[in-house]
Amino acid sequence: MVKPYGMLRAGFPYVKCLGMRRVTNHPMDLAIGLDELIYVVCRGGEIARLMWDDDGSWDVPDREPIGGTGTEDGKFTWPVAMIRDKDGHLHISDEALHRITTLTTSGEFVSKWGEYGDGDGQLNHPSSIAFDAEENVLVVDTMNHRIQKFTKKGKFISKWGEYGDGPGQFNMPWGIALDDCGDIYVGDWRNHRIQKFTGEGDFVFQIGSLGSLDGEFYKPAGITIDCDDDIYVADSGNNRIQQFDANGRFVDKFIGDATLSVMARDYMLTNAHPNRLREMTTLEPAKRLRSPRSVRVTELGRMFVVDYGSYRVQVYQKEVVHLDSTQITPPMRSPTLAVV
Amino acid sequence: MNKLATKIAANERSDLAHLMRRAGFGTTPSELDAFVVRGYEAVVEDILNPETAPAFESDLIDRYFSGEPIYMSSGEWFFRMANSPRPLEEKIALFWHHVFATGFSKSEHPPSMIRQIEMFRHFGLSDMRTILVELAKDPALIYWLDNNENRREEPNENFGRELLELFSMGVGNYSEQDIKTASRAFTGWTFTQPLPVYPNGHFMTEFLYRDDDHDDSVNTFLNEEGQFTGEDIVDIIVKQEATARFVCRHLYNFFVSDEPQVPAWGTTPPQDPEAVDTLVNAYFESSGEIRSILRVLFNSEFFKTSRFERIKSPAELVAGTIKLTGTHRFPSPQLLDLDTAATLMGQQLYNPPTVEGWHTGKEWIDGGALNERVDFAVREMANPSAPGIQEIITDLRKDDEPLSPERFVEKSLDILGSLEVSSKTYAALLDCAKVSGGLDFNSEESINHGPESVHRMLQIIAASPEYQFA
Repeated sequence: MVKPYGMLRAGFPYVKCLGMRRVTNHPMDLAIGLDELIYVVCRGGEIARLMWDDDGSWDVPDREPIGGTGTEDGKFTWPVAMIRDKDGHLHISDEALHRITTLTTSGEFVSKWGEYGDGDGQLNHPSSIAFDAEENVLVVDTMNHRIQKFTKKGKFISKWGEYGDGPGQFNMPWGIALDDCGDIYVGDWRNHRIQKFTGEGDFVFQIGSLGSLDGEFYKPAGITIDCDDDIYVADSGNNRIQQFDANGRFVDKFIGDATLSVMARDYMLTNAHPNRLREMTTLEPAKRLRSPRSVRVTELGRMFVVDYGSYRVQVYQKEVVHLDSTQITPPMRSPTLAVV
Repeated sequence: MNKLATKIAANERSDLAHLMRRAGFGTTPSELDAFVVRGYEAVVEDILNPETAPAFESDLIDRYFSGEPIYMSSGEWFFRMANSPRPLEEKIALFWHHVFATGFSKSEHPPSMIRQIEMFRHFGLSDMRTILVELAKDPALIYWLDNNENRREEPNENFGRELLELFSMGVGNYSEQDIKTASRAFTGWTFTQPLPVYPNGHFMTEFLYRDDDHDDSVNTFLNEEGQFTGEDIVDIIVKQEATARFVCRHLYNFFVSDEPQVPAWGTTPPQDPEAVDTLVNAYFESSGEIRSILRVLFNSEFFKTSRFERIKSPAELVAGTIKLTGTHRFPSPQLLDLDTAATLMGQQLYNPPTVEGWHTGKEWIDGGALNERVDFAVREMANPSAPGIQEIITDLRKDDEPLSPERFVEKSLDILGSLEVSSKTYAALLDCAKVSGGLDFNSEESINHGPESVHRMLQIIAASPEYQFA
């Protein structure tokens, strides 16, 4: 894909919320299906299926949750991450069962792979997963402090990383994402940083360190890269999403702007007591993110923030205009105070 | 009970094992070795000053085991009990949870319950004035005892009554007028309205003082007259001898030896009045500082000679067992099972049956509860891959010398915290040890059978009556 010369970042407004308690219970991650339904995997094992207009709920027969709690095929104990392949299948990691499960979007079990251990191809608390261009699966092998690459069917290909806090080392990593060039970004959870690697696992650079200032992290969880190569990090411990450009420069942050989802409004309209309670208190805390676990951005710039602590997904829309070289000056060597 | 059947004389190691059962939730063999090197009095100082140890790292729980249901919070607390580098922080929180019993069942609001326990961790070793004021500001307790309904024009006496009856002085040491005055002094002590649980989960609440709802009329309280605030009431309470005796008897009951249930305290004297007197003196010498009282308690002879005189609460039994076996050193979904186990034994954390708290001591034991207690402990000991069990096996074969049946029994009891058992239990353990001819890891056959013998021994110890005592 040809990259634009530059960008005019026009805005990134909040759009809406999806889900609510009982429907998206402690959501961990989401994927957009080929059917354009929004699949939200929840910590308890259920995968909610939501429409963009959010007019459905758990009692719509053709969109009942799939997955479910358990250890048998097609069930989950501690699901973490979910990605969708080109065939439309969903791949879900489970850090309690140490395996990756594949389901159809109607919930039929397709396959599973992975076993507990620290040998090649074995997993110890796998968390985020991502496809490379060939649809090989990169797995964050959290408690082995490494990244492993597998074929889509689970055959071991390669690995890198070890425990530590130096370049290329990890301490319980969580998130993973790839850009269009195949470079790999890993959320190094207990080292409070993001590390960038080549597709072969060679260290390139790191973003951030422990803290709560712009560009700093506290226990970063899921990450994603958009088609402009912007990097988004679910800075879980700081209850925010941070956005960086391809060079790792801090661009923006999102702390939450939630409103009630359509199904939440429907619920409130039939429940008088919580309506009174809302009238007795401030609503400001209700807007904010609580321990976001994942962030996903579509090709159209729609950002889905998986708001784990508040049982919902907050959606934002990136507004950006691509610029050619006549519309933005070349990169400058130094900051300037020139006003024109 | 014939406590010295194993002929293990009291020594610093057994004193330390005893200390850690009471001030914490037991020890692993390697921890106990380190404590012996440090020495009893130094260990007492260490545990009385939790800030000298690293804080419990909650990030693993936050990542793997966070969720709103109260049974998850219960599982988390067991995880902390077994793994915190600051054992007394958890034990004192459990102590105050017994005394200031606040139940989840009424509010169904986990965040305030969790914060109450966190408050106990933070302030639990400080002085009684601080503790009672923090308690009176605690939203979970305010709701539990209706102080949010305690209005200037319509006083509600529930909190005022329990403050005196169950939280500080005990029945018979105050009048009905004192209850009324205390209640009026706490009018306006309420909390901010949290957002409702639907549609986005629970939200936190904070203490709120509403001056416009506070009754500042002149009243009499424990022979003093004035326009009392809540703090004034606590100031008067904490200087009463009745308060010192009540609090110290609670400390004795929890840390030393089982006393009768609290409602009987007005008519039944303490089993060791001199011990309580000693603690009361420490109370007044330290302005009611719990840390100072416990320093006297842990260093006293009445404490050191009280080994195995308390029946473990379900929480102590569960936490002590998993600490020993090491089955929960990393969060797992099975943490949920610990809440279930303790509940079946009669103690669901965060949910005492009434404001009076749990009835303790022998009342923990009935036929059903005993089965649950034994089953749980035996089941945990049966896990051959548990890291704690592996460490016990390593410890038993440390010298690579074959152990006679007698030595096998004695060393097993020692490793499990210098346990003392009756002659009858000792004989049963010896019979078990004789089946395998003692313990020997020096031949291929014995290497295979050794761990099995150890598992069997540990399970029989866990099933013994003595394992039920701390």
